Amino acid sequence: MNNHTNNDNVTVRTIDLVQKGLARRYKSEKRFKMIGLCAIIFSLLCLAGLFVSISGSGYTAFLQTKIELDVFLDPSVLNPNNLSGADFHGLVKRSFYNMFPEVKDRREKKKLFSLLSSGATYDLTDFVKANPGKIGETILLWVPADDDVDMLIKGHMNRDLPESERRLDDVQVSWITRLEKQAKIEKKFNTTFFTAGDSREPELAGIWGATCGSFYTLFITLVLSFPIGVAAAVYLEEFARKNRFTDVIEVNINNLAAVPSIVFGLLGLAVFLNFLGLPRSSSLVGGLVLSLMTLPTIIIAGRAALKSVPPSIREAALGVGASKTQMVAHHVLPLAMPGILTGTIIGMARALGETAPLLMIGMVAFIVDIPAGFTDPSTVLPVQIFLWADSPERAFMEKTSAAIMVLLLFLVVMNSAAVFLRKKYEQRW
Amino acid sequence: MKKVLLNVWVLVFIMGVGYVHAKSRDYISIVGSSTVYPFATVVAETFGKTTKFKTPKIESTGSGGGHKLFGSGVGVQYPDITNSSRRIKKSEVEKAAANGINEIVEVKIGYDGIVIANSKKAALMDLSVKDLFLALAASVPNPDGTPTVVPNPYKTWKSINAKLPEIAVEVLGPPPTSGTRDAFVELVMDEGGKKFDFINAMEKTDKKQFKTICRTIREDGAYIEAGENDNLIVQKLEANPNALGIFGFSFLDQNIDKIQGSSIDGVQPVFEAIANGSYPVSRPLLFYVKKAHVDQIPGIREFLKEFTSEKAWGSEGYLTDKGLIPMSADERKKYYDIANNLIPLNPSDL
Amino acid sequence: MPESPTPIKRRNQLVDRNIRDTVGQSSVPNPRMRCKNVSVYYNFGEKKAINNISLDIGQNEVIAMIGPSGCGKSTFIRCLNRMNDTIDGCRVEGQILLDETDIYDKKIDVVPLRAQVGMVFQKPNPFPKSIYDNIAYGPKIHGLVQNRQETDEVVEKSLKRAGLWNEVKDRLNQPGTGLSGGQQQRLCIARTIAVNPEVILMDEPCSALDPIATSIIEELIDELKQEYSIAIVTHSMQQASRVSQRTAYFHMGDLIEIGPTEQIFLNPLHELTNDYITGRFG
Ligand SMILES: Nc1ncnc2c1ncn2[C@@H]1O[C@H](COP(=O)(O)OP(=O)(O)OP(=O)(O)O)[C@@H](O)[C@H]1O
Ligand SMILES: [Mg+2]
Repeated sequence: MNNHTNNDNVTVRTIDLVQKGLARRYKSEKRFKMIGLCAIIFSLLCLAGLFVSISGSGYTAFLQTKIELDVFLDPSVLNPNNLSGADFHGLVKRSFYNMFPEVKDRREKKKLFSLLSSGATYDLTDFVKANPGKIGETILLWVPADDDVDMLIKGHMNRDLPESERRLDDVQVSWITRLEKQAKIEKKFNTTFFTAGDSREPELAGIWGATCGSFYTLFITLVLSFPIGVAAAVYLEEFARKNRFTDVIEVNINNLAAVPSIVFGLLGLAVFLNFLGLPRSSSLVGGLVLSLMTLPTIIIAGRAALKSVPPSIREAALGVGASKTQMVAHHVLPLAMPGILTGTIIGMARALGETAPLLMIGMVAFIVDIPAGFTDPSTVLPVQIFLWADSPERAFMEKTSAAIMVLLLFLVVMNSAAVFLRKKYEQRW
Repeated sequence: MKKVLLNVWVLVFIMGVGYVHAKSRDYISIVGSSTVYPFATVVAETFGKTTKFKTPKIESTGSGGGHKLFGSGVGVQYPDITNSSRRIKKSEVEKAAANGINEIVEVKIGYDGIVIANSKKAALMDLSVKDLFLALAASVPNPDGTPTVVPNPYKTWKSINAKLPEIAVEVLGPPPTSGTRDAFVELVMDEGGKKFDFINAMEKTDKKQFKTICRTIREDGAYIEAGENDNLIVQKLEANPNALGIFGFSFLDQNIDKIQGSSIDGVQPVFEAIANGSYPVSRPLLFYVKKAHVDQIPGIREFLKEFTSEKAWGSEGYLTDKGLIPMSADERKKYYDIANNLIPLNPSDL
Repeated sequence: MPESPTPIKRRNQLVDRNIRDTVGQSSVPNPRMRCKNVSVYYNFGEKKAINNISLDIGQNEVIAMIGPSGCGKSTFIRCLNRMNDTIDGCRVEGQILLDETDIYDKKIDVVPLRAQVGMVFQKPNPFPKSIYDNIAYGPKIHGLVQNRQETDEVVEKSLKRAGLWNEVKDRLNQPGTGLSGGQQQRLCIARTIAVNPEVILMDEPCSALDPIATSIIEELIDELKQEYSIAIVTHSMQQASRVSQRTAYFHMGDLIEIGPTEQIFLNPLHELTNDYITGRFG
């Protein structure tokens, strides 16, 4: 209280001391800010680099080279009563050969036909089945070109290299050049990529099967791990008595969160497949395994979030006569929800990107059919990326990048959803 | 309200599990070798698109992993077919028999060549299995000629063979878990080792010692395990013209604009040379069918028919487009009959 | 059962500061709440915060609790509706009766107890919900209101009694945490009286209030005591003398003196009480 008089006597005033240290304090503040800024810029640059390099090599996958065929829907080939038995393959062949009347030799013909994807036949089949009324007419149909043609058109194969070093020889290139002049070959938006399942033909491969698989798997994961995780967190944090037993549980949960994910795959193999006999490769089992993996994350995040709710709120609720359950359900949990949601989203995002545990339960597999339910064999986006990255065909490279872009998009959507939900909660409370 | 939701949730879950349990499988389940995977998947896809059956599900588990799953039992939860880049082992057949699998149909589908390739920017290499053995074994015969082994002293190709260029030995190859590695060790390293008389003699007298010498790859950095992803090896070769890479023929086939396959013992790894057997590093590719599952799982017969059709595995078939080296017409005939008549393997043939 | 009365000391001859037995009449006939030999331990028995206190709260009475900071006033008042149950490692010994039933009995449900014995906390702690929901929450969970209209009435009435209505009537949907400290405290008072408790415990309800708001609360206390019993902790001796009939003086966990408010302030019997009210202590 008497500082003032003291200071007057000794002539050293607090303000002088403050002033002296001020420059240093500001400097260190500035330095700290700079470091933070640099960190942010660095991570943004890394992110941008990742995006640019991936989109740079992946965007071409969104376009697909297609060839326009004039197909005469020959009524003698296509019997409207028995379309399934019709020789669509022959029809496609004939139509394509008609565009190059000078190609007579059998070997040459084979080479010519290899410019078309095997998907051409399926496209024609689908078209005729959808428009049986068109039989007897001549139609124009854009069908997919072979992946080698696609690579050439997109410039991933160099036309100037000597013939022996290309997968397409000079004659084939000359045919393609001719089609280009006639505007019969064109890059079009690649709907197949977004609607098809996996395929060994890059031009027919799509991401939809894996997307559905991811969706089913994550759905199971969320439905299981969120309620169970929240319930466990609430119980441990709000109801369980703190004793050695709960300590052991806490240590174990923390351990589980750090266990390598492949271990959960092994566990899933032993329990869900071998013991419970659930179907291998199904998104149900995938979801179960991933929820085991996600649970500790959610529990830990949930407990931290619950802990951060101020005790005064609990007292307030109890003080007006709320029961413990009401206190938790009406006050504590809603306040902790943003934190729990963040933890959940982090856990789910990790689950979305996981492949290792799925290997053990057979989800790293070639699956063409789009899964229609939780028990159908299915794969997930990162596995699809892994499988494509491992395929010999050059054209799968751009598919890989494109699939990564889709995966990143999903992550962005998920995280935005998390931010949105959080905002909403925060407004309500 | 919340309670009701919770009950519904539990109920649905229990019912779901129960329902799943009772359900049978209506698609073929295939496991096994990653080398056969690219071929089996093409057949499966064609099969799925051209028949009324569902597309088979194919997992790439490696040959050993495939046999293990395949041999665990009979029933919908076990795979119907396993792919393999080597013949089934006697022990595997026995294990399967112990689990109630008595009849296994063995179908060979063709051959795969293992290539030793480098970037097109570098000179084509002309190697022998002996050169490769000397370059990659952990211990090699003493250069002074005495019949003893010393830790591999060779740093450059020229020091191994004066005809070879003066560049450091640097080989990217698959890890021990890979079937390609197994085949490479067996076909190149064993054969290379046998070029030395005392090692050759050892095969009879001390098989264990023989294997240790021939099959232990050096770990001083000259051999770099590049992971299972062969595409990655191709990319690394492109970036480093001095390095050689070891992988399956189909990756060479898909990347002939970037890499070239070294000739082994004077033979280039081209389609014809592998098919007629003159290229030394090639191995059979096979698959095994559990006979008890035929007619239980829909479509197995039809799948075998598709796989063994000329349009698939024939010399002009679509599998050759994917890099499969087809069998001779006679062999094809033999295995066509086995596959379509489901003639089981006789374990004593192994 | 009333204890044997402590012998009244002569005026001017105060009880020595080292004697910590309660001076004065701690019991009243027909009490609302009766505490017998209450001791409270914190940190699993490591720290004794309250030492053997016996005290009655009469019907329709306002009892004030005063004493230096940290002497155990809050701890004691929190025992009366078992708020100390929520603190890990806190143990209450002794007996506390509400209308002759032991509230620490195993069979006693704390939920109705706390509805009956309401509490206003030392630090304002509104729910992070709207002002309206803050008030409506208690009546809702106890089923005191059946529809929106009844709820509206309760909310309005409670806010008016706590002297907050005029300030917030236009923004009932805004969060209660957005109010000023004093407003928040009145909101908490309103929240407590909205459930119509029979005993109200107030832990420094006016510590953040200006004189006008304080006088509103004091009027409220006057009004409430017609029906209820009120225990109020306060650091303002003026307030204690204005609102209370009896006053208890706490010192380091001991109940030093209790008696009619007037007597405590004008004629304390204990040396410590005397020091405190004359400002020589704390
Ligand atoms: N949760 C707790 N854990 C441990 N000790 C506590 C706890 N709460 C209070 N105490 C201790 O108990 C004693 C009494 O505290 P209490 O809060 O009852 O004091 P008070 O009389 O209300 O003081 P004030 O007038 O400052 O509010 C203090 O010494 C305090 O440190
Ligand atoms: Mg206090």
